[in-house]
Amino acid sequence: MTLTLENLGLCVQRNWIIRNINIEVQPGECLALLGPSGCGKSTTLRLIAGLDKPSEGSISLFNKDLKGISPVNRKIGMVFQSYALFPHLTVVENLALGLKVRGYSIAEQKRRISYVLELLQIATLRNRKPQEISGGQRQRIALARALLRDPLIYLLDEPMSNLDAQLREDLRPELRKLIISGDKPVIYVTHDQQEAMAISNRIAVLNNGNLEQIGTPQELYLKPQSIFVANFIGRPQINMFEPLDSIRIAVRPEDIYLDPDGIQCKLIYKEWLGQNQLLFFDTPKGTIRMIGDTALDIPSEPRITWKKQKEHHFSTKSGKRIS
Amino acid sequence: MNYLLLIPATLLLLLVFGFPLIRYFWLSLHASSVLTGLEPIYNNGANWIRLISDGRFWQDLYQTSRFAVFSVGIEMILALVIALLLNNEWKSKQIYRSITLLPWALPTTIMALSWRWIFNTPYGPIDQILNLIGFNNLNILSNPSLAWVGTVIADVWKTTPFIALILLAGLQTIPVDLYEAFRLEGGSPKQSFLYITLPLLKPYLLLGLIFRLAQAFGVFDLIQVMTGGGPASSTESLAIYSYLNAMRFLDFGYSSTIMLASFMILIFVCLSAYIVTITITNNFRRYKL
Repeated sequence: MTLTLENLGLCVQRNWIIRNINIEVQPGECLALLGPSGCGKSTTLRLIAGLDKPSEGSISLFNKDLKGISPVNRKIGMVFQSYALFPHLTVVENLALGLKVRGYSIAEQKRRISYVLELLQIATLRNRKPQEISGGQRQRIALARALLRDPLIYLLDEPMSNLDAQLREDLRPELRKLIISGDKPVIYVTHDQQEAMAISNRIAVLNNGNLEQIGTPQELYLKPQSIFVANFIGRPQINMFEPLDSIRIAVRPEDIYLDPDGIQCKLIYKEWLGQNQLLFFDTPKGTIRMIGDTALDIPSEPRITWKKQKEHHFSTKSGKRIS
Repeated sequence: MNYLLLIPATLLLLLVFGFPLIRYFWLSLHASSVLTGLEPIYNNGANWIRLISDGRFWQDLYQTSRFAVFSVGIEMILALVIALLLNNEWKSKQIYRSITLLPWALPTTIMALSWRWIFNTPYGPIDQILNLIGFNNLNILSNPSLAWVGTVIADVWKTTPFIALILLAGLQTIPVDLYEAFRLEGGSPKQSFLYITLPLLKPYLLLGLIFRLAQAFGVFDLIQVMTGGGPASSTESLAIYSYLNAMRFLDFGYSSTIMLASFMILIFVCLSAYIVTITITNNFRRYKL
């Protein structure tokens, strides 16, 4: 196994930031750590990098326990959310500093740096400083620095969150080509579920420092193991109905359809999504979201229903999936 | 049109800065003393000729520079150490920071008087400590070759916190991410100090240096209270000499000449300090590639 987190936990001033994290990463896999802010995903990454020490549990890389191994010797290529580029150094100097302190000769530094500058098509930026280039370019420099590290594993901490939506989508293929589809494992921290689904082989959903579910994007979408995962994954958000007999039923908006024998409801609002539209219905069970291409006008009072097998059932007590 | 908005500020600067300077210059070209009945009489640059051959002026220039170089030099190094310590995450760090700032908050005259007592022989603690380790009756402030050391010590005590505060503010602008990224790349603590902290602290180091050089070069109150320029004029600064000429000898023409001369020397010193610091700190990160 490439990377194994066993029972990992971090406790700061009697508060458990994360606890009981068990994750195994396969060779060449890209695993997304997904969750809202403060859920512990960045903390998990810092523990792997060795920037913080775990309070319990262990981390092993290629069957070697990382306990007591310094961050450098873990050979990690990390991209920070802020990119962490040195503001007083030019692009080339930013890339060279790490190589220099690791003792590469000047010729070797030059060779490696020209290689990544070509690879990422940023050679024209070589003598600029970070504040003189755009956010997307900065992100590429940060990627270049991680590549230069020639690491055993890549840790990407929300590498795209400082970019605008358009740029994020533009950079995704590049990120995939350079890092994610390589043979080295990647851990990708994000709070954006669409990005996680687009980029990773598997997703680990974290909430309040606990691992809610780990699985492929399809598994998470089709069989969410908890109310939290069901709510967090999938946009437009899943319909959660009021609990009945300590069971909570949820149905995805796309599984709802118009049916003359369905429940009576009232169209109150609609959002144009492009290909289809998102309809909000007022029903006896509360507001229901439905994705449909039907041209319905406000006000109208259609009947809607859904197939029984498309329902997700959760226990209200534990928040976990039933059956 | 935009420049119109600058007029009020420019006028104010001219009034408080330009006018006295021009007035000094004008006075320095005139004899204006008791002998002339305090009437300014044009004297063909005699004040400047007198200045050049005035041994006391050159002696005071040397003493002032010695005071400035030693006190500012020690203060910068001490302040950097203190700022680095205070920048650590400590429990109740606010308290430490406030305590460190206390000496700077004291009025100079009060702390100068206290230091005079601290150095007092035989009642001051420093004299007693010196006696214990075998230096009997060293009497620092009455010793013409040692008194300046006493004033430097007092100045370092008072002003180090000020620079430490500037440097601490500078340290807090450096993101922790930079250090962590560098650590992952293999940088040692010493290397991260040289390659990250020092270059990023450069503007703050310069600011502290220029501020303090200017202040130390014009030192007056501390010395006036602690030693009055003595013993035997051994701690006399240019500001004190100028003050003596104006207020004791009532020679306003010559006093202005001294002030103007030290002002020009100070500008020269600050500029050179600026250039030297920029060159030194740039060398921390210069490597060929």
